[in-house]
Amino acid sequence: MSLFGTNTGFGSAGTGVFGTTTTDSHNPMKDVEVTSPPDDSISCLAFSPPTMPGNFLVGGSWANDVRCWEVQDNGQTVPKAQQMHTGPVLDVCWSDDGSKVFTASCDKTAKMWDLNSNQTIQIAQHEGPIKTIHWIKAPNYSCIMTGSWDKTLKFWDTRSPNPMMSLQMPERCYCADVVYPMAVVATAERGLIVYQLENQPSEFRRIDSPLKHQHRCVAIFKDKQSKPTGFALGSIEGRVAIHYINPPNPAKDNFTFKCHRSNGTNTATPQDIYAVNAISFHPVHGTLATVGSDGRFSFWDKDARTKLKTSEQLDQPITACCFNNNGNIFAYASSYDWSKGHEYYNPQKKNYIFLRNAAEELKPRNKK
Amino acid sequence: MGRKKKKQMKPWCWYCNRDFDDEKILIQHQKAKHFKCHICHKKLYTGPGLAIHCMQVHKETIDGVPNAIPGRTDIELEIYGMEGIPEKDMEERRRVLEQKTQENQKKRQNQDDSDEDDEDEEAGPSFQQPASTVQPQAAYAPMTQPGMAPVPAPGMPHGSYSGMPPMMPGVPPMMPGMPPVMPGMPPGMMPMSGMMPPTHGMPPMMPGMPPGIPPPMGHHPGIPHMAQAPPTTTRPAMPATTVSTPQPSVSKPLFPSAGQMGTRAPSTSSASSSLDTLSASSKPLSQVQQAGSGVAVSASATPSAAPKPTFPAYTQSSTAAAANTSSTVAKPGTPVTSKPATLTTTSATSKLIHPDEDISLEELRAQLPRYQCKIPSAGQAHISSPPVAAMGGVLPPQQGIPAQQPGVRHPMQGPYGAPPQAVPGYVPGGMPPYGQAPPMVPPYQAAPPRPAIGMRPPVMSPGGRY
Repeated sequence: MSLFGTNTGFGSAGTGVFGTTTTDSHNPMKDVEVTSPPDDSISCLAFSPPTMPGNFLVGGSWANDVRCWEVQDNGQTVPKAQQMHTGPVLDVCWSDDGSKVFTASCDKTAKMWDLNSNQTIQIAQHEGPIKTIHWIKAPNYSCIMTGSWDKTLKFWDTRSPNPMMSLQMPERCYCADVVYPMAVVATAERGLIVYQLENQPSEFRRIDSPLKHQHRCVAIFKDKQSKPTGFALGSIEGRVAIHYINPPNPAKDNFTFKCHRSNGTNTATPQDIYAVNAISFHPVHGTLATVGSDGRFSFWDKDARTKLKTSEQLDQPITACCFNNNGNIFAYASSYDWSKGHEYYNPQKKNYIFLRNAAEELKPRNKK
Repeated sequence: MGRKKKKQMKPWCWYCNRDFDDEKILIQHQKAKHFKCHICHKKLYTGPGLAIHCMQVHKETIDGVPNAIPGRTDIELEIYGMEGIPEKDMEERRRVLEQKTQENQKKRQNQDDSDEDDEDEEAGPSFQQPASTVQPQAAYAPMTQPGMAPVPAPGMPHGSYSGMPPMMPGVPPMMPGMPPVMPGMPPGMMPMSGMMPPTHGMPPMMPGMPPGIPPPMGHHPGIPHMAQAPPTTTRPAMPATTVSTPQPSVSKPLFPSAGQMGTRAPSTSSASSSLDTLSASSKPLSQVQQAGSGVAVSASATPSAAPKPTFPAYTQSSTAAAANTSSTVAKPGTPVTSKPATLTTTSATSKLIHPDEDISLEELRAQLPRYQCKIPSAGQAHISSPPVAAMGGVLPPQQGIPAQQPGVRHPMQGPYGAPPQAVPGYVPGGMPPYGQAPPMVPPYQAAPPRPAIGMRPPVMSPGGRY
């Protein structure tokens, strides 16, 4: 019996083990299925921070809900709680102490979800849907950063209804990432802005996009000393750019690579190029995972500039991914991302979240 | 030692009759003098290889081996080092050598007493044998060195050439020695077919290696030869490149301290000038690091991108991207609301799986009526479709509650959370009363751990609490 929501028929026994037929291509990688997944496309996933014991996964969906599961060490997933917005949820994040979850929605609000009390409270308001939400923990302040399609980036102290700061952006926010003291926002029209967060957030630099197509996802990576040093930017054209903020040799250190394309060797038919829906960096190894509209995920080593693995093709696009705090678990969501328009949307089609053991597959290639 | 020696003499070049100390040098000589393309200066491995290269690449035929003596210019004879020399020529060479040595001996002997002729003559030939047996061993030595690294080479560059995206994963573990030599990455951002031209510009790469790649592809008998040469040639290269592996991520302060914020040189400035400005203005710790990084960078500037070109994009420029230039590139500020700009999603070689409108997938989807938010964003608080009433209650937030937390609380326990949130809601009393009777009143202010939600009265899920 499902513990969530009303109308899902997918009431598994809560063991989290895939049980469908072998010919079904919804889980070709035979990964662990999360129980009670949302009823509509999953837009975002986030694992709890290391300050909390255990692994808790939250996921937001186009069914207006945010769900929380506990992921146990044996791989079983236990649904824990759920909260609602009045519009599709586009992003989620955790506070640094793991006690709060922040959610951003098309209903132009962001909410803080106190997990201990299972209560939510609205903490942000925009003029348009909020696409990104991130928690910033600085030595002298803490706040929430929200990026919206209303072209503003706002910073909120959760105790006050008015933003601490509001920065104007050139265009609608499409994706963002924060690793203190750096924040990167990619906007419509291929805009790309880096912010520095020390003392207070301010715009640091606007960067000419290394990509020629619409930006879709961004993730900051760190150097060996765990300081943010650059970011990976994905576009709708099956390409990811690795960009360092202050490289010794930009022409050599920055590069792009193609991914999530079909027909690798067959040049007779036109190649299908899929969007990169999300990028995540492994917290320990520094290698990255990309997931795309083609229904595959790939692991890459950006320093060795090699691909580590590509998965089999799922029957739906993969819309979100994330690693847990120690990098042992890779979670990815299989649901429709609208890449083929509304004609291919099937509300009856089940959405899935899969968990995969990521300890071995993301080890970097040995340096030569 | 028990082998029948084919050579019994020092290595010599069949094309020009010159002698060499060992076969390695002989091969280098042949490649530089006889197997070098006069058009592009690429060094091949054999005569036929050179002929094929000129035909395929330059569409030119060559008549004979360059710099060869008359009678030894046959382009079709496959000679590599000492292998492939026709037996006839070998014997002739031996005879010539023997004649020379005998002449030398006779000259010396003529100076001696004639009584000692017999002994000397017997001794003479025997001197040659130990000498000649030593040399073949030395000459064989290079060939017996392990050819592990280059054996996969015929396969690897094959893949890189065609730029197949998915084929690399298996290769990197096999090629620990090769990557520094592979030319795809270092030439910069957009190399492609240019496996060949970059070889000349790349100092750290052994020039011998890359040109060897095409011949095996077209010319199979040449492979065993090629497998033997690279170990000797790449070995000197490897230590150099591995030592100088750079750390592009030497930690400098990511953002200069807030006061210096605008002074950073733009990222497009040259590496050296940006290092100078950084070291001038940054904190001491970073200065030390930058000094170190400056050294590292200068020492490793050229081989820095030693990593292999296995990212598929690298070997092929983005033909698809070029063909698919979005129309939005030209218009940075086009408003999207009324008439979205469109993408060019289809070209001859590729097809972008994305709707034509140049807005994000989420924006497109959010326009649908089914995803419209139930509550308008203005100040009204009207409740949307009230199946909520049946579901476990949404509660009016404020006055009745000894609120520890001010503001709107949304203890939503049904699929639709009705409370309007347009009002920032931090002002208690701003909320109109709700129409439906709250069937149940979960004592949320007491904050018991209450994880589970359903339309039923809140149920504690087994073991589930924070």
